[in-house]
Amino acid sequence: MSGVLVTGATQPLGRRIVELLCEIGRPVLATGREDPGDIAQSLPPGVRYTRTDLTRGREVRGLLQGPCMEMGLDAVIHLAFHRAAGLEGHRVHRLNVDATRLLLRLAEEHRTLRRFVHRSTAEVYLVRGSRPALVREDQPLNLDPRATQWVRDRVEADITVCARTGLSPLHINVLRCAEILAPAMGSQLYDYFGSRVCLRPLGFDPVLNLLSLEDAARAFVSSLDCPEQGVLNIAGADTLPLSWAIRAWERHDIAVPGPLVGPLYRARAIVRRTDFRYRQNRWRFHFNAVLDGTRAADVMGFEPVHPIRWPTGAIAMGAQHL
Amino acid sequence: MGPAAPWWARKLAGRALCERSQLTRFRDQGHGVDPFGLHPDGVLTGLAITRWLYEKYFRVTSHGADNIPAEGPVVIASNHSGTLPLDGLMLWTDLVRNGPEGRIPRVVVDHFVPGIPIISIIFTRGGAIGGSRGNFHALLEAGEMILVFPEGVPGIGKLFRDRYRLAHWREGHVELAIRHGAPVVPVAVIGAEEQMPQLARIERVRLFGAPYLPITASPLPLPVHYHIWYGEPIPVQDRWAPEDAANPAAVAEATLWVRQAVEDLIAKGLKQRNGVFR
Repeated sequence: MSGVLVTGATQPLGRRIVELLCEIGRPVLATGREDPGDIAQSLPPGVRYTRTDLTRGREVRGLLQGPCMEMGLDAVIHLAFHRAAGLEGHRVHRLNVDATRLLLRLAEEHRTLRRFVHRSTAEVYLVRGSRPALVREDQPLNLDPRATQWVRDRVEADITVCARTGLSPLHINVLRCAEILAPAMGSQLYDYFGSRVCLRPLGFDPVLNLLSLEDAARAFVSSLDCPEQGVLNIAGADTLPLSWAIRAWERHDIAVPGPLVGPLYRARAIVRRTDFRYRQNRWRFHFNAVLDGTRAADVMGFEPVHPIRWPTGAIAMGAQHL
Repeated sequence: MGPAAPWWARKLAGRALCERSQLTRFRDQGHGVDPFGLHPDGVLTGLAITRWLYEKYFRVTSHGADNIPAEGPVVIASNHSGTLPLDGLMLWTDLVRNGPEGRIPRVVVDHFVPGIPIISIIFTRGGAIGGSRGNFHALLEAGEMILVFPEGVPGIGKLFRDRYRLAHWREGHVELAIRHGAPVVPVAVIGAEEQMPQLARIERVRLFGAPYLPITASPLPLPVHYHIWYGEPIPVQDRWAPEDAANPAAVAEATLWVRQAVEDLIAKGLKQRNGVFR
């Protein structure tokens, strides 16, 4: 069975994907920015790990022409991204976008690599009241130049990979994942739920779709056998209104007039050094945006089966929060 | 499922409507809502809010609700009027109360409605959807019943002198009905045109995204008697194949068919009513 190169393998999603790949017996080459000594305990035994800075072309070439070639790997799962919304600037862009472009180009020239799976997110979609609530793969992307760099970078990387689909010798899949509600995943909602009191715009209670880490990892592993190229939405098992999610997380849900939410969260980010940016989440805190995972189900048989582990039994909450 | 709708909603709605709302058929996504936000207790809340208006104020009389197919995708196309979209509320209520058991009409609302605080929540939980093709397409594909007002905002913006004359009848609903093999049920709402006679409108004043400020003869809706007439389903799916949805001539012909059916129902309803308030 051919092996897989996993970039960003030291983050929780990467680690879980590596574990699942090991369970099915696929050789794995894991890469990350951490020193091997720091992460030796967190990866399954037998996994080869290489510290690689993907923003440096020479290191990427060394990775692909060295261990990748030696192991005869045939697939890349590209997860490496800066996760914090607060990080901005050229260096961030270099990893988020330039490294993706470079890795894809070099993978196309590689002798053994045949498949490239790129992790994208639901935040690349344009969310507005005039847009469908059920988001399919052909929904417009958020090309707003005023969007945060976190979003702009992900849109650019997504388009960069999509643009090569069908033209590249590689079999390319872009997995646009619903928000993975887990720590250390760059989840804006996870940071939002970090406060005892969660503010949301008064008069709005949009429906969200959330993905568990386990389902996300399963989707990436399934994508390695996906017979079709292109974009796939990876929806989660949890679809519920924002206010229910707040209560399921055992937080106090307080609706405040919309214009106040942004300044209050800006102040929170400054004072408490939190990562949640209301500006980035403003529209999805107003309008329904639920990923339609039909294509992923049809094409690669992926169905989300692992709901989020809510602190309370959210399943039994019902309409008491209407 | 946990406790139901707010106590006041259960009290206002009464036992029969409580039971009716709990029959709601929808695609539960695990937490009791469908992907668009519909929830049975949202339906009950909607029924509770509209009950007095439906039974006492507008005294709605329903004719021919058994024409609504009990299964499969269907488009309900109605005339639209009244300055405030109360005809939409009454028609939604009538379909829930008198239509096939458990079928909730998915009302297509204009783009600005999801941006109105509170209203957006009430409408969403009751099954309303924003007026985008994607929403329409997804729900027909799922075999749901869509309620659409092809005249749109110009319909409720009609001046009193234009009452019961249909405004421009859009084609999108017929196109999607053909594409999804869904019949179209024509509906005429009689009475709404007189509820708030509109004398003029100020185009430049926009509140909550509404396109104008109406000047009406009455500050509040008058207690007119509503009659809702449902016609026989128009089998567009028998006459045109799904690929004909891309043919403008076929869509225009089907649209004309639907529009004519609504006009005929309006004429019938006007002829049979005894007066605006009786």
